[in-house]
Amino acid sequence: MNKIITRAITKRIFSSVLVLFLVITFVFFLLRMAPGDPAQKFLSPNFSPQLAEQISKSFNLDKSVPEQYISFVANLFTGNLGSSYTYRLPVTKVVYEYLSFTIIFSLIAFLIQTIISFWLAVRSVKNINGSFDRSVDKLSLLVYATPSFVIGLILILIFSVQLDLFPTSGTKSLNNSELPFISRMLDYFSHLFLPLITLTAGGIAVFYRYIRDNINDIYNQNFILNLRAMGCSEQTILRKHIIPNALGPFLSIAGIELGILFGGALITEVIFGLPGMGRLTIAAIFERDYPLVMGCTLAAAFLMILSNLIADLVKIKIDKRLIKDLLQ
Amino acid sequence: MRNSKLFSAALLFLVLLTLSCRKDEPVSSERLIIGISADIKTINPLYSFSVDEGSINDLLFLSLVRVNWNETIGNIETEPLLANEWQWSADSTSVTFFLRNDVYWSDGIKLTAEDVSFSFELYSNPQVQSKFYGTFEKLLLNEDLSIDLKRSIEVIDSFSLKINFIPNTNIKLVDVVLPIVPKHIFDKYEYDEIPSAEINFNPVSCGPYKLKKWDRNQMIVLEANPNSFLYSDDMIKELIFKVVPDYNSRITQLKKGEIDIAEQIKAEDTETLLKSGKLNIVSVKGREFDFVGWNHIDPKKFSESGELVKNIYFSSPNVRKALTLAINSEEIISEYLINFGQSAVTPVSPIFKEYFNNKLQSIAYNPAEARKILKSEGWSDTNNNGIIDKNGTEFSFTLYVPGGNPLRQYASTIIKNNLKAVGIDVKVETVELNKLIDNLFNKSMDAWIAAYYIQIPLEYKMVWYSDLDAAPFNFVSYQNKDLDIIIDALGKKIFYEKEVELHKQLQEIIYADQPVTFLYWIDNIVAVNNKVKNYEINPLGVIQHVWDWRLN
Repeated sequence: MNKIITRAITKRIFSSVLVLFLVITFVFFLLRMAPGDPAQKFLSPNFSPQLAEQISKSFNLDKSVPEQYISFVANLFTGNLGSSYTYRLPVTKVVYEYLSFTIIFSLIAFLIQTIISFWLAVRSVKNINGSFDRSVDKLSLLVYATPSFVIGLILILIFSVQLDLFPTSGTKSLNNSELPFISRMLDYFSHLFLPLITLTAGGIAVFYRYIRDNINDIYNQNFILNLRAMGCSEQTILRKHIIPNALGPFLSIAGIELGILFGGALITEVIFGLPGMGRLTIAAIFERDYPLVMGCTLAAAFLMILSNLIADLVKIKIDKRLIKDLLQ
Repeated sequence: MRNSKLFSAALLFLVLLTLSCRKDEPVSSERLIIGISADIKTINPLYSFSVDEGSINDLLFLSLVRVNWNETIGNIETEPLLANEWQWSADSTSVTFFLRNDVYWSDGIKLTAEDVSFSFELYSNPQVQSKFYGTFEKLLLNEDLSIDLKRSIEVIDSFSLKINFIPNTNIKLVDVVLPIVPKHIFDKYEYDEIPSAEINFNPVSCGPYKLKKWDRNQMIVLEANPNSFLYSDDMIKELIFKVVPDYNSRITQLKKGEIDIAEQIKAEDTETLLKSGKLNIVSVKGREFDFVGWNHIDPKKFSESGELVKNIYFSSPNVRKALTLAINSEEIISEYLINFGQSAVTPVSPIFKEYFNNKLQSIAYNPAEARKILKSEGWSDTNNNGIIDKNGTEFSFTLYVPGGNPLRQYASTIIKNNLKAVGIDVKVETVELNKLIDNLFNKSMDAWIAAYYIQIPLEYKMVWYSDLDAAPFNFVSYQNKDLDIIIDALGKKIFYEKEVELHKQLQEIIYADQPVTFLYWIDNIVAVNNKVKNYEINPLGVIQHVWDWRLN
């Protein structure tokens, strides 16, 4: 069995590398085709026209696009993604600074989304069409339909402006480094509380509806009725039979959702001034910082593939029969 | 059920604990928090391309002289800073600076004339790619535009040096204003290593402030430098540049007192900010104007063959004047800018009180006169379809506006309607800024709305000169020989009275030709907390000379 799993994972890794390569190749050429020039921001009556020429040369933009591509791929194999035009730093260093925050923030958001949506779904299904189920169902629809920037601004207005309970932006207070450890952690928590609600609200609504419907379907299946008839307790049925069966389909969307979160939560990052990948990527695109866009794309694509792979592996762990799907 | 109750209780406990532990950040009487919309990329004056980078670097690195704004004459003036005094040669082709001998770098090394000479070398070296590269045309240069140090800069001793200029050029002291950098730090690097050197993030500085902390994308903290000759006990001890990307969050934080200063406030928000009772509203006037660019050449022919063929709509000055008459820019000022803007007449702002030609009045909205001029130019509605035409060509074009700029979107709607009233059909197209800039350099549009940010001291050649190679920003391809003569004369050594006269003549020519339709000067509105005293916000900028500011 271990051999099969190893073969499946190896196969998956190879196909993932191919996908990554295709994605970055596509983005590389797409960027070069887009209007705008990275040296354009150095064209200004305040600077000499020769400056833009010099900078263009140092960015290798005077070379043809195929030449640039060959040099990019060659450097990629040595782990060199080039230097960011705007930061004048190796791309890996810039991406690392933003990615570390995004990964931590995304994992916390994902965890919250999963726990809360599961809890709500299980409670709803226990009393299907009850008042709790109906209320959460309507609320989830409302939250799902509300854009995250609206949720963010409403939260700021109520909790920051009116009640003055939480800060409006940033990840920490100005005096954070002077605080003792516990207070420092709580300071981070108070800064990230509203952003986490903003980011997870939509996800909770999606997960909730998905899990609730799944659990409900399983609840109504004959084998559950059989288990009940055999005298299994509701708790055992739920823990040992319903949740494992509901997890499979949930994991598929969870893998995608986690990948999306890793790519950056632009709206939340902008509203709350968070240093995440979303803002970095958008700024890099607007500034035509080609190496940085490539770095962000590579990181986002890699994490998307990785999160899906992890989701698949968890699915296999739960249900070994799914290994065939992975091999295909 | 028990688990879910436990879970809810734990969550509630955590939130309550956070709230109970959360104290307001210490509101220090010695700390000023400046809200900025984006993080800076470098703390190296060689590469401080953005306004915020420039403001921060000016506090860390000093220049030979300090540049101030004189409101009375409406121009800049200089006073000693790193240089105690200076002496011009009899023929005004060289100046000798005598430096202070009490200026230290933050690592304890004394600043000397060698640092100054080395700074000029660095700023002008092509491999370094500094923001001043290629701008030292009044100094003696090598072929690669680097300064010929042997002939241009003579280090006399540790604290004095002489700078030689090219004779018969209009030399001003501001031509040598650049932040001085430490030689003993930078000469450890090869020139081509400097753009990505570690020193760009961890500077050794000489100013009244030094870098305390830089949390990427969060804040840049500067602290007062007690070893600086500009240090005083009552100066603001800590400056925090706090990154708040969202405009609405900046407004909220201003009201809450979480930030003390923010720029680029929308006119519509000024009233509510004033109502908070904590803030003053001031504005930087006359640095940026919006205009409608009318391409004087045919964009299609230019892109096909590079030929400068006259544009059928906009090559005539009379037609351009008619278009200006037909556009109600006052409506945009009163409705959108809510009077935080002034009508623009020429590229010379009214802030330059001596240069500004006040005989030239704003061209008032007059559609009837516009129609008359257009008719005299052969544009009339011959087929009664509501659109004027000439030789079978209808006066119909696309006006391009950059996306993400609500003011220009609003202006484009007014302009479209105004021009429709005189029989001109305008299609408005919004394009991404990068695409618009591309189109401007390729001269591939008929008409567009854009802005010019004017330089101090005034510089015309790059925008208004007829030789399009020498004027890369002459996007409309405007050509006038008389104007060229004036621009050339302003670059040469002349008496001040003559200089003032030439500036006024230049405005008269541009006014008569209407190469573009000048719309309005846009104020940079700034909100400042009442606790800040002694600040001066003028056309040179907002965050400047902060060591003179005080807090209540």
